[in-house]
Amino acid sequence: MKAWRYALKLLLRDYRAGELRLLAAALVVSVAAVSSVAWLADRVGEATSGRAAELLAADRVLEGAESLADRFAAKAAELGMQTTRSVGFPSVVLSGDRTQLVAVKAVETGYPLRGELLLQSGLGAPERRAEGIPPRGEIWIEPRLLSLLDLEVGETLSLGAMDFRISELLALDAARGNVFVSLAPQVMINRADLAATDLIQPASRVRYNLLLAGAPATVDAYEAWLERQDLTGIEVERPTDSQRGVGEVIERARRFLGLSALLTLVVAGVAMLMTVRRYAARQVDRVAVMRCLGATQRDIGWLMVWKLIWLGLFAGGIGVLAGLGLQAGMLALLSGLLPETLPAPGWRPAVVGWLTAYAGLLGFALPTFLGLRHVPPLRVLRRDLTGRPTGAVTLYAAALGVVLALMWWQASDVRLALTVFAAVLGTLLLLGAAAAGLVWLIRRRQRRGAGLLQFTGLVRRPVTSTIQIVAVGLGLMALLLLTVVRTDLLTAWRDRIPDDAPNYFLINIQPSEVPELEGYLNDTVGVDTRLYPMIRGRLVEINGEDVAPEDFPPGRARGLVEREFNLSFREQPAEGNRVIQGDWWRELPAQPPDQFSVEQGVADELGIAMGDRLTFRVAGRTVSAGVTNIREVQWDSFNVNFFVVSPPGLMEDFPATYITSFYLPPDRTDVLPELVRRYPSVTLFDVGTILRTVRSIIDQGARVVELMASLTLVAGIIVLLAALQVTAEERRFETALMRALGATKQRIRRMIRWELLLIGGLAGLLAGGVAAVAGHAVAVYLFDLEYALRPVLVGYGVLAGAAVVWLAGGVGTLRYYRVSPMRLLRAPENG
Amino acid sequence: MLVARGLGMRFAGPAGEISLFQNLDLTIADGEAVAVLGASGSGKSTLLGLLAGLDVPTEGQVFFNGNELTAMDEDQRARLRAGRVGFVFQAFHLMPGLTALENVMLPLELSGSRDPRGEAVQALEAVGLGERLTHYPPQLSGGEQQRVAIGRAFVTRPRLLFADEPTGNLDQGTGERIIDLLFQLNREHGTTLVLVTHDPALARRCDRVLHIADGALEAAA
Repeated sequence: MKAWRYALKLLLRDYRAGELRLLAAALVVSVAAVSSVAWLADRVGEATSGRAAELLAADRVLEGAESLADRFAAKAAELGMQTTRSVGFPSVVLSGDRTQLVAVKAVETGYPLRGELLLQSGLGAPERRAEGIPPRGEIWIEPRLLSLLDLEVGETLSLGAMDFRISELLALDAARGNVFVSLAPQVMINRADLAATDLIQPASRVRYNLLLAGAPATVDAYEAWLERQDLTGIEVERPTDSQRGVGEVIERARRFLGLSALLTLVVAGVAMLMTVRRYAARQVDRVAVMRCLGATQRDIGWLMVWKLIWLGLFAGGIGVLAGLGLQAGMLALLSGLLPETLPAPGWRPAVVGWLTAYAGLLGFALPTFLGLRHVPPLRVLRRDLTGRPTGAVTLYAAALGVVLALMWWQASDVRLALTVFAAVLGTLLLLGAAAAGLVWLIRRRQRRGAGLLQFTGLVRRPVTSTIQIVAVGLGLMALLLLTVVRTDLLTAWRDRIPDDAPNYFLINIQPSEVPELEGYLNDTVGVDTRLYPMIRGRLVEINGEDVAPEDFPPGRARGLVEREFNLSFREQPAEGNRVIQGDWWRELPAQPPDQFSVEQGVADELGIAMGDRLTFRVAGRTVSAGVTNIREVQWDSFNVNFFVVSPPGLMEDFPATYITSFYLPPDRTDVLPELVRRYPSVTLFDVGTILRTVRSIIDQGARVVELMASLTLVAGIIVLLAALQVTAEERRFETALMRALGATKQRIRRMIRWELLLIGGLAGLLAGGVAAVAGHAVAVYLFDLEYALRPVLVGYGVLAGAAVVWLAGGVGTLRYYRVSPMRLLRAPENG
Repeated sequence: MLVARGLGMRFAGPAGEISLFQNLDLTIADGEAVAVLGASGSGKSTLLGLLAGLDVPTEGQVFFNGNELTAMDEDQRARLRAGRVGFVFQAFHLMPGLTALENVMLPLELSGSRDPRGEAVQALEAVGLGERLTHYPPQLSGGEQQRVAIGRAFVTRPRLLFADEPTGNLDQGTGERIIDLLFQLNREHGTTLVLVTHDPALARRCDRVLHIADGALEAAA
């Protein structure tokens, strides 16, 4: 017997007979969930990986003060490397009465040394490679800036003190440093125009870059030379660095979505266990006949393995296709956040999908299938013999083992995998206990003779009902959390911001402009505000020991050390700041100037304690002081705040710019264009626009996660249907008996409807209850928001659960009351 | 040739060990048709299971063509059965998800036939079901289902055929036609037949009738 061929035949026959549809559906949903995430991550990741040098536009980039780069450029030239320079900074462009924050990049001939610049001559026009850089007096802008400023190609906009003609649209600058769309659209000008804009002032936030490229050996030689140089104040970026930041974001998103996808697999796994058990029970007689006709245990084992191989191939294939479709849906939901053109879908996620299918079958189906090997041939004569079905311990161990292994693979981190595994298991057990409790209550009520005869199904099969409630409830809960609770939390957060919280920030204010600008803001614009000094420094030592980014875990702490801090000095604590350890300087008897006040969050991240001595490097010089107090800052007040503050007298000599924030009512924004015109080097941030953008990014991301949660709900519905199928025979018998005893079709229909509504309602009750409590807990304990428990969530949950289960289950149970009692009694096995 | 020596079968029962039968000796020649007659619970189906190698006795030996079944493990016995032993059961034991044709193809596939479809079609034509190839068991009457089972039993041209109450689930008229068919095919193929029944009239159609009662096997007069 050729097992593979015979298994295929039997599988197709079983499928035709409706035996495997739910098992296949459960597989398809799991594979679709996992492969869609793999596809999304792969394509977005592909857009960056392998193109690391393009992201940098060079093989090496040196960032530092303008003059410092000269000797490094000279060495590169000596080695025969190509070089070019670019300058990047945030600024504001002006067109008529509209202003917009942009990221300016001023480039020299030769840019980019690696990768390419793609241009369009108008919206929708074909993309073409740029030959050279923007000519003087012209500006190349990101397409979305056109709609933001209501402009067209060929028109003019002002940047600082100079007007530029928009000559091209920047379709792609791989070296924007990030594949994701940033808050500020990019504009590119010729470096030779920079001076005329008047934008660059001392201590402005400017990145001077020296770009280098050459043959690998030359780059290595340069690197070797670089190691012997004093790199104080200079940062060397390598292609891997530029990829790292983007890679980390993609990796984190991939892990999160990947683990969410596994939730679908866990729920679908329950459906698989149920359907496989029923399938195996119905195979016992066939296997006994085959054994009787001469099939060995090995034959049966291989037959079962081949059946699963084929099932995985087909269901996995459909799942992979569904995943491809889902991924396209996710990309559509993320439109605007990702580059327009992504690499074509590759084959790797398809393999991931198939492997998931086989992993699922390995964990949820194979042990049961292999148990069929032990069916004795004597069963053909003695019906009481069933062989040795696979034990419950083996079944659960295999299922949990595979889930844990998949989580480990998705999380690429044992601890995270174990945490998520425990959390999922805990949630399932909690929901299970709650569902079992509810079912118990109803059973008790019925036993007391409360006349709830309609609920027989729920009452007579408490375990199945509990599983149905948990499976549907889990999906509903995820959806409720993502839709209602998320919206609630964002609203609660927005409500906490006072109506007159500052909505504009001005940065890059030169010390010389301070008195005049302060006067202008107070008198002409009509806002009462103060300007604060801001000094940029890098934390280099704590208690005399060097601080290196590698000493901190990746994430916020490392990011803080890699970037420059904003330091300031002031006499009084700022509004909304509360000293939680130590004393503010005025309260100290002696008032030495070398003191630092550190914000609590930063202190926690970097492990800074009272009395620690911090050293910052500011513009090539260092400044040290001891920490004399730690402050709590209410950041969402949108007042100007700093991580590290010193008393006056410590940092006045260092180059500083000034910063301020103020509230401008919406009907007063007409003063802004004039403000930008008068102070071209000052950068204006519109908080409202930034918040709206952030919110829309959160919304877009959340919709993708909602899509994953919908799949979990679909898996829950498959569990519901699987449970209905498992109990089908029992139900048919009950129904036939009841009909024979005189129950009308209508009565039976009503009975089933009540059972379904009750299961859905209970699932919704649990989902809504848990979502309400979880939302409340997250709001109060994590985000410190005022957010009352929302009982309405329970209402939503009950309604949604009842509706979903009634609709899905109604289709699954139609057959029970459509057939006559005679047929049911005559052919109980062959439906 | 099928030989049983000193066959015994004991079970653990609620009130201690129960001996179904002991020390049975039996020899069935090639081509012979033997009926085992007995009341319900007399152990005749158990005996059939032991002779067919579906089960092992608690004592004694069974030889099929010189091979000791009782010394083989279940898989070795299965390999020996494949293609050489046929069965007809009271409950038909057809696979509900397979058509009549596919049911008959099953033993051919297990014994590695080159043309399972062609042979199965022939077998179904021989039992008068040439028009019912693509019907599923629930779409066939009881008699038709048993004809499929007989087609399946003979399709591999087995040396040995076991029939367990083949008419037990059929009405009298249908039962008689099925038995005619069974014996006709048996003669045509020269198969050794072991038939278990509680119906003396059916048993008399065999070459030899054995009675099983009170744990002993006796030749009927």
